[in-house]
Amino acid sequence: MDEKDLVQKSQEGNEEAYGILVETYKTKVFNMAYSLTLNREIADDLAQEVFIKAYYALPKFKGKAAFSTWLHQITMNHTKDYLRKASRMRQVPFEETKGDLSTQEDKAEKREREEDLAQKKKIVHEAIVTLPEKYRIILSLRDIQGLPYEEISRLLNISPGTVDSRLHRARKMLKKKIIPFLEKEGGRQ
Amino acid sequence: MNCKKAEKLFLRAHDGLLSEEESKELEKHIDSCLFCQKSRAEYKNIFDVLQKTDFPEPKPYFWERLRPRLNEQKFFEPWQAWKQWGLRAIPLSLLLVLFLASAILVFGPQPREEFSQSGVLLFEDQSPLQDTGTILDEEGVEDKNMMLIFASLEEQPGSRRPFP
Repeated sequence: MDEKDLVQKSQEGNEEAYGILVETYKTKVFNMAYSLTLNREIADDLAQEVFIKAYYALPKFKGKAAFSTWLHQITMNHTKDYLRKASRMRQVPFEETKGDLSTQEDKAEKREREEDLAQKKKIVHEAIVTLPEKYRIILSLRDIQGLPYEEISRLLNISPGTVDSRLHRARKMLKKKIIPFLEKEGGRQ
Repeated sequence: MNCKKAEKLFLRAHDGLLSEEESKELEKHIDSCLFCQKSRAEYKNIFDVLQKTDFPEPKPYFWERLRPRLNEQKFFEPWQAWKQWGLRAIPLSLLLVLFLASAILVFGPQPREEFSQSGVLLFEDQSPLQDTGTILDEEGVEDKNMMLIFASLEEQPGSRRPFP
């Protein structure tokens, strides 16, 4: 059964078909929510809510865009809403990330490098969550998720020129925030 | 090229948006500018960290946790639809009531003003002294006064003052 059939069956209320779509796209939706919130717990909740919203919005989906594009749009809007509410209440918890382990390198050297990277990640991620919403979103989409300018432009409904200028400003703001910490922590190259 | 433009260009270079000519110009500037060399290294450091962001997996049993929530949502849907639109309708209906009330006050029927008999005569363009004119012309002074008093009492029946 191809995606179009799955969407059609889901529109008719077939939960099994929708379950297959959820399994296919859950990681993409989760990753987008995670890159914007940097918190696994919240990203998981948001991903669930996105799939609930999408399920009830399916009758309105006419298939003009791809299902994945439509789903990404819902994810983006829902996560933006969350960030807006959370920043109003100043409740955007930050979750420390952990590096993955490799067994072939010298343990001490590897641990030191990992600790250094984990420390840098912590500083960078903490700085990202303090950025104003629009800069935080664009930075997450481009530099964490690696989305192309055109897709960011489409998702945020802004021109590629605005993507360029906003991204430039976001990167400058981030650098200004974290360079003193990275230098203090020995993060220079 | 100044350092501000160089910063813009090496950020665009990171996104692969630089032409060959701009690239050459940028490299030329960076080779001769210690500030930009340091700045570019700092950005590279940040990008490396950002690109190494670990994406954890969603929590286990994603669909199993989602499925009951879909049905739960079905049950609450009418209430949520009311909540969404009904709550918005409250201030709107208040505004509408206020608007209607003010419209009635401005354009509604005005209460009719009661005119006295002399007022009515004036509106009909008649002299209120017309009836008494003949009396004033014909009778003596005492009779005239008495007749005028009785005439005025007939005009206003409720305002008769008792004699002492």
